[in-house]
Amino acid sequence: MALDAYTEATDEALLVLYGNGDPSAAQILTRRLAPRVLGYASRLLGGDRAEAEDVTQEAMLRLWKQAPKWRTGEAKISTWLYTVATNLCTDRLRKRRSVDIDAIEEPADDTPSAVDGMIQADRATALQDALNTLPERQRMAVALRHLEGASNPEIADILEISVEAVESLTARGKRALATALAGRRKELGYGED
Amino acid sequence: MAKTETDLLDDAQLEAFFEAGREDVPELSDSFMAALLQDADLAQPQLAALAPPRVKRSLWQDIIAQIGGWPALAGMATATVAGVWIGFAAPDQLETLSGGVLLVGDYASVDTIYDVQDFAPNYFGTDLLIEEEG
Repeated sequence: MALDAYTEATDEALLVLYGNGDPSAAQILTRRLAPRVLGYASRLLGGDRAEAEDVTQEAMLRLWKQAPKWRTGEAKISTWLYTVATNLCTDRLRKRRSVDIDAIEEPADDTPSAVDGMIQADRATALQDALNTLPERQRMAVALRHLEGASNPEIADILEISVEAVESLTARGKRALATALAGRRKELGYGED
Repeated sequence: MAKTETDLLDDAQLEAFFEAGREDVPELSDSFMAALLQDADLAQPQLAALAPPRVKRSLWQDIIAQIGGWPALAGMATATVAGVWIGFAAPDQLETLSGGVLLVGDYASVDTIYDVQDFAPNYFGTDLLIEEEG
């Protein structure tokens, strides 16, 4: 089966196949990359799924259009996609600020009271709430480093800053998260000790 | 109340949150997936567009291509010129190489007539021919 053979192929090889007119490559690439972009965009946009889907669709469309011009060996496709998604999210966040500052979702202080042994999904929600309290760039850096698994040089490329600036952003972001989540330590299944 | 160092999560506790976040990968709905694939389909370069355009050739270009292209044509022209040159110049060296078979007698004259023995004297000696005639 062609699809089975393609699952082992690299992102770049699949994009070249797509650019050469192969109809199966897009399916594999979409299944592989779109959920990651969607998750990342969703984190940056405060968990707004509909907006995150719009960003993902636009980012993927730009990837398809880029395929014939893609220069192999220059950049990782995931890094390129995260860069596009970051820029699209930045635009949307900027618009949100200019349109209605009250529309920005506040960190949820009134999340359902938790019991010991809270499930992973609730921790993920709490993390998202805490991420929402971070300044935009810190949120991006922390999400890329600790949730998307990007390296510091990759993040530097995506955010167009130095590696030192990335280290500073992630360190400050982590510290802010640790503070924001500390207040909910008990309800999230950690002891206060 | 002011926060202190003890209000912070340690790295291991924070990592547990990150782990939960990493596992929380959104699933694509069928309709969203279909929309993404439709975009990919519409944006995909078509095979017909990728094929090199067929170049229309003239009759002469077709004939030259059948022969083997310009290099083959150049070889044929060289052979033709060499043949004409040998015919007119009748170089001595050629006579030497052929053992006097090709260019015997007064080859400068147009009236030169060749006999069979001129071409293969070893096999058709004069005596033998005379004997047969006799």
